[in-house]
Amino acid sequence: MHERLSFHIKRDSFLHRLNPLTKLVLTLALIIIAFTFPWYWAPHLILLVAIIPLSMLGKVLREFSVTALRLILPAAGFLFLMQAFFQPIGEDIIFKFYFLDVTTESMMFAFRNAMRVIVMISAFTLFLLSTHPSELMSDLTRRGLPGQFSYVIISTLQILPQIQAKAQTIISAQRSRGLDTESTFFKRAGSLIPLVGPLVFGSLVEVEERAIAIEARGFTSKHVKTSLHEIPDPAFDQGLRWVLFILIIVSIGLNIWLS
Amino acid sequence: MAFVNIQNLTYKYPLTKEPVLQNVNLQVKEGEFISIIGPNGAGKSTLCYALAGFVPHFFKGEFSGEVEVDGKKSGESTLDEWVLNVGLAFQNPFNQISGAKYTVFEELAFGLENIGVPRDEMKQRVEDAMSLTGISDLADRSPYSLSGGQQQRVALTSILVMRPKLLVLDEPTSQMDPIGTREVFGVVRKMAEEGMTVVMVEHKVEWIAHFADRVIALKDGQTLLEGTPSEVLTSDVLVENGFGVSRYTSVAREAKKQGLWKKEKLPVTLFEAMEGFK
Repeated sequence: MHERLSFHIKRDSFLHRLNPLTKLVLTLALIIIAFTFPWYWAPHLILLVAIIPLSMLGKVLREFSVTALRLILPAAGFLFLMQAFFQPIGEDIIFKFYFLDVTTESMMFAFRNAMRVIVMISAFTLFLLSTHPSELMSDLTRRGLPGQFSYVIISTLQILPQIQAKAQTIISAQRSRGLDTESTFFKRAGSLIPLVGPLVFGSLVEVEERAIAIEARGFTSKHVKTSLHEIPDPAFDQGLRWVLFILIIVSIGLNIWLS
Repeated sequence: MAFVNIQNLTYKYPLTKEPVLQNVNLQVKEGEFISIIGPNGAGKSTLCYALAGFVPHFFKGEFSGEVEVDGKKSGESTLDEWVLNVGLAFQNPFNQISGAKYTVFEELAFGLENIGVPRDEMKQRVEDAMSLTGISDLADRSPYSLSGGQQQRVALTSILVMRPKLLVLDEPTSQMDPIGTREVFGVVRKMAEEGMTVVMVEHKVEWIAHFADRVIALKDGQTLLEGTPSEVLTSDVLVENGFGVSRYTSVAREAKKQGLWKKEKLPVTLFEAMEGFK
């Protein structure tokens, strides 16, 4: 019926089998190192030797590349241009554009920053592609995250597309009664008003009913919650998390020490 | 002592002027299947909320009287303890889907996870409940991809799997076709045979006549009639008060005026009508 708000792709791979927390720590480690490691080529290297190979290991290279091209490159490209033009550093002017100077230094600076952003978004993309949201949340809940918190995250992911669908239904219903949705901007803006009311108030009523429904199923029960799915957390994962943790500390430490 | 005992229950929502329930008294035996009928605004849903503890624990407002289930009073209990004994499924199935789960199987396990049922027992209970309500083939579907009737079955199953002692159902078949309705009534009847006490709000009087032990007619927050299905559902009082009655009862009532219906009692179901007109 409606698409749900999730990037997750079900595959059987090494990356998919990792514990969700390990993947989260891995993602954060890649990002933190890309931002803090005091070597110019660190983010570039992370992309080439960590993120791209990991996406192959996770059997999601194709989906990863598509998302990357669509989502990351425009953003990073824009960032690169802005920083290359507006960063007032360096002497070695490559070319002038009216009053804006583009220097070798500003190019290098922009290139690294764009690369850091690419690492950040692509690491998260890879994480979302290989991790089922409910798996992540039930693992985090098991480790002590409040159940209410994970409920809010997961239900938002699921209910937003439902609200979208409902908005579409309301729009269709109003259009069939002659509501103008295709003429000038102001007319269309005005015609939003009768749409917002039913959607907002309807959603509020739904929230109350949903609260009753989950309460009736023991949501605030004081029992220790159990979980339908067992999420394995082998020694390998635990060890890997420690290694990543140490790498993060080292990277931040070097950054502080060398600055 | 009755399993369910409501004494002088009067309740007013915070924003309404008149009480929704006025001096309601109701006793239900253990394993009994009672059905509540009534026009819109009669207080049926509020009565369900009162049985399930949401009045007064979730909806504030003025509450007096007592609701007692299995020897415990709702006013003296907390909601999270109360729901362990009393299960509630209501009309709109869409809002009863938790939104926290991606498949029907997980959705049904949601309540059991909350109350800490061990994993193996959880799986067994979900499977048993699914086969009971005939939704085993939906196990791996997304709850949001189902039809209204299917979602309603999932909502009912998600409460049955909790194994409450008292099952409160507020129009659980409103979006179902006749076959689905019949099956749900059959499942509810079976649960009652196995000792579960059931209070069900319904409009479908023919099925009530067929399956329920007792019927309560509610109007303006007060009990109008109470008795066996054939007593209550054929009563002239219902027609005078604007209740929906079975078409067979209406036909036989007209026929009786013309002298065509010979029996003393009016029919509710097709079968009774056929017997009478023979």
